[in-house]
Amino acid sequence: MEFDLQYWHWLVFGMILLMVEIFLTSFTVFWFGLGALVVSAVLAFFPALSHPWQVGLWAISSVLFTLLWFRYFKPMMRDKSKAGNASEAIKGESGLVIAVPVGDKRGVARFTTPLMGDDEWPFICQSDVAIGDRIFVLEMSGNTLIVEKR
Amino acid sequence: MIFNGMIVSVVFLLLVLVTIFMGVNIVPQGTKYVIQRLGKYSRTLGPGLHFVIPYIDMVAYKITTKDIVLDIPSQEVITRDNAVIIANAVAYINIVSPEKAVYGIENYGVAIQTLVQTSLRSIIGEMDLDDALSSRDAIKAKLKGSISDDIADWGITLKTVEIQDINPSLTMQKAMEEQAAAERSRRATVTRADGEKAAAILEAEGRLEASRRDAEAQVVLATASQTAIEKVSQAVQGQELPVMYLLGERYVEAIKDMSTSANSKLVVLPGDIPAAVRSLMGSMMK
Repeated sequence: MEFDLQYWHWLVFGMILLMVEIFLTSFTVFWFGLGALVVSAVLAFFPALSHPWQVGLWAISSVLFTLLWFRYFKPMMRDKSKAGNASEAIKGESGLVIAVPVGDKRGVARFTTPLMGDDEWPFICQSDVAIGDRIFVLEMSGNTLIVEKR
Repeated sequence: MIFNGMIVSVVFLLLVLVTIFMGVNIVPQGTKYVIQRLGKYSRTLGPGLHFVIPYIDMVAYKITTKDIVLDIPSQEVITRDNAVIIANAVAYINIVSPEKAVYGIENYGVAIQTLVQTSLRSIIGEMDLDDALSSRDAIKAKLKGSISDDIADWGITLKTVEIQDINPSLTMQKAMEEQAAAERSRRATVTRADGEKAAAILEAEGRLEASRRDAEAQVVLATASQTAIEKVSQAVQGQELPVMYLLGERYVEAIKDMSTSANSKLVVLPGDIPAAVRSLMGSMMK
């Protein structure tokens, strides 16, 4: 090995990797970029570190960054929109019973804001409901809502 | 040794690279990924950044959760009043449970297309042509109700169905045009007849009014004659001479008029004018 890796090689390499992430948008190269920056910091303090150890340290630090991200940072990211997610958008919505289910006929509930383009939906409820009761959506089954009375 | 260590560390790095590359998944908003763990369904990933265990978990399906527009192809439908129409529609569906949609049916798009097609045919078959053209909301509600249970197992909701266009067949179109034309000509005939009737009535009313006035005029004339005769009789009071004089004068006037008329120059004069006048007077002078 004639070529000797300096700490700034790793620094530049890490920054290039961070920039590559802009074009790759897979959010994977980013961790390797951060890992390379860690290697450059360690190399600045211990210039005698051999090449295999440098590469190994790079791999390990990258894995650590990835794990840290999914363990601590991802739970902090909330969903900002339920657009295009019908099931998440309707769960927990409440409506009023305007027709009671009788026998095998389904009841009808009306919602103040339209749910998936309709403000009246047939529903199935395990417990008995009366007209005017407030029900909450649990699930959607075809064009019928599964609801519960709280 | 160092060289071997280098190989090991580079391979380890490659392993880490591939592993992280396979494990990190970014699911864009509006789609969901169905994850299988060793061939069995494991979970559904919503939008956002996710880490799946590489080599064990794999993304089996990528399903859109946006509304899907399904074009329902044209088909011939026979209405209750035996009109053949060609109808096509458009359906909007939404996949609520991606795992049900991918494991419940082979091809949900085709399945719902054919289901809507057949249901639409039977619903329009129960309607008259005019109803089918005008009651879209009823068709929509019936259609939703009829296929709701069928698509429940597939985790799909039918949001709306709109009939795009209904075209009557050529013969039907011709018949409709003829019907419309006949209706117009019927109206024209009725209007003309109404006009003629009104005219006749007005004319008759005019005649009635005219006759009434004529009768009144005759009465007035008769009354005038009566008055005149009465006045003359009062003036005469049994004396013959003035009457004779008057009549004679009129007689002579009449003969004079006759002589000046263009069509005849032959004038017959009675020999005894007083006697002639007296005979005109008749029994009045006796």
